[in-house]
Amino acid sequence: MLKRKITCIICPMGCEATVVVDGGKVIGAEGLECQRGEEYVAKEIEAPMRDFFTVVKVQGARVAVCPVRSTKPIPKDRLMDCSRELADTIIEAPVKAGDVIMGDILGLGADIVATISLERNSQEVGNWR
Amino acid sequence: MAETVDVAVVGGGAAGLAAAISAKEVGANRVVLLDRNSELGGILPQCIHTGFGVHYFGENLTGPEYISRFISKAEELGIEFKLDTMVLRINSGRRLLASSSLEGLFELDARAVVLAMGCRERTRGAVEIPGTRPAGIFTAGTAQRLMDIEGYMPGRKVVVLGSGDVGLIMARRLSMEGADVVAVVEVMPHPGGLPRNVVQCLEDFGIPLLLRHAVTAIHGQERVSGVTVAEVGDGGIPVTGSEREVLCDTLVLSVGLIPENELSEGAGVALDPATGGPLVDERMHTSVEGVFACGNVVHVHDLVDHVTETGARAGQGATLFALNELPPPKRRIAVVPGSGIRYVVPQVISGDGPVTLFLRVKSPVRNANLTFGDFAVPLRVARPAEIVAVKLNEEKVETLAHRREIPVCLEASS
Repeated sequence: MLKRKITCIICPMGCEATVVVDGGKVIGAEGLECQRGEEYVAKEIEAPMRDFFTVVKVQGARVAVCPVRSTKPIPKDRLMDCSRELADTIIEAPVKAGDVIMGDILGLGADIVATISLERNSQEVGNWR
Repeated sequence: MAETVDVAVVGGGAAGLAAAISAKEVGANRVVLLDRNSELGGILPQCIHTGFGVHYFGENLTGPEYISRFISKAEELGIEFKLDTMVLRINSGRRLLASSSLEGLFELDARAVVLAMGCRERTRGAVEIPGTRPAGIFTAGTAQRLMDIEGYMPGRKVVVLGSGDVGLIMARRLSMEGADVVAVVEVMPHPGGLPRNVVQCLEDFGIPLLLRHAVTAIHGQERVSGVTVAEVGDGGIPVTGSEREVLCDTLVLSVGLIPENELSEGAGVALDPATGGPLVDERMHTSVEGVFACGNVVHVHDLVDHVTETGARAGQGATLFALNELPPPKRRIAVVPGSGIRYVVPQVISGDGPVTLFLRVKSPVRNANLTFGDFAVPLRVARPAEIVAVKLNEEKVETLAHRREIPVCLEASS
């Protein structure tokens, strides 16, 4: 059993909670003012999830990189794994926003999709070649 | 002979796009949008993180996703874009002087003008950090552009100065791409950014936040080799003996944003020293007839959703003015920041409709009252990093109508 301090980020109140954790589960919390806060704290301690976004290299576009995101949040402790997984990815323009760049990344159930459309551009750019 | 258009919008970011779109939607015939960049969208294309559009669309979008919706809409509506175009001057008669490689130097007469030039980052010079002048010192926005548009890694071992949202977001971006972010240094006793960003950008990556600290020197010849970090005491003075060297190859500066108002001043628009932006009424009308302003040129917003909303209001006001349909001001009540309040926008109430006042507190407060002369509203919690929005309905505006001035003050609740 251990005590942890955590800031709730659900609303501007920003409650500072002290939670009691046992075996990875929240068994008590003090300092929260609402139900939503309690749900957030439980999730944040037991299975924290985050949006994932980065850029991948793109060939044949007016820019050197294409921004991408995950279609749903992924476990917090897998953010860096996803970043590494995409580090060597090179895509080819044209790209349309929503195009799947990598399906079901690391088996986490989230697709990585482009967030911008890039036309084909014959002028080569980028420093990574 | 200069061409005449109904509405000229200066700046093609979130504010300018929203203004141009609403101008077309409420009936302006010719709407021209000018931007010095070669792409529309302002800063949004390089803000690849999520968190945009939660209020406006009820969806959690990235910057590129958010802004592309407005770019598509503006294209559909037949707004004329003049990109790679620098507006050099606007006179009080709403004549614009601009220049582009395509058209050379040209003039444009506008029945109404919308100022949407946004803001600029403060630089090393603005915060006067002593030391050498090596490579490896970037504003957060420049580091972001290098990483997320141009595909360069700004550095490997990074100190971030300033804990505003852009600084926090860059600390996370750099970490995610494999850089070692040694610390985020903040001179104030509280973080400059939103709690969400402190948690998800710093705590998630184990990045220390050094509050009440400053970078007092930069070291290195060709490239940054380190910085001196010191504690600061009262009055922002570094504490003698607290200095220590921190090794790094990069210093990222997130030390504030300043509304960009050279054009506004040239047009004779009165500025508010507290915001650095034009004084506006609730229709976003400035002190110069027919000149409206919106977004970060008025004051630096926390959320693009609010920027879009001010743009829509400015575009509507500008169009009504251009078509001679803008009702004249009914009154002129000055809204004045009092104790505990840094600024309030709009600074003037001129009509009788509902008004939303946006204000910023000077320091964090809990369980206080906001007073508006004749009445008070409770304020449970507020931080300088988060804008407070207070909606005054018609009835409240009516109770204030006898006043020339409304002092807005923060008082401890009894």
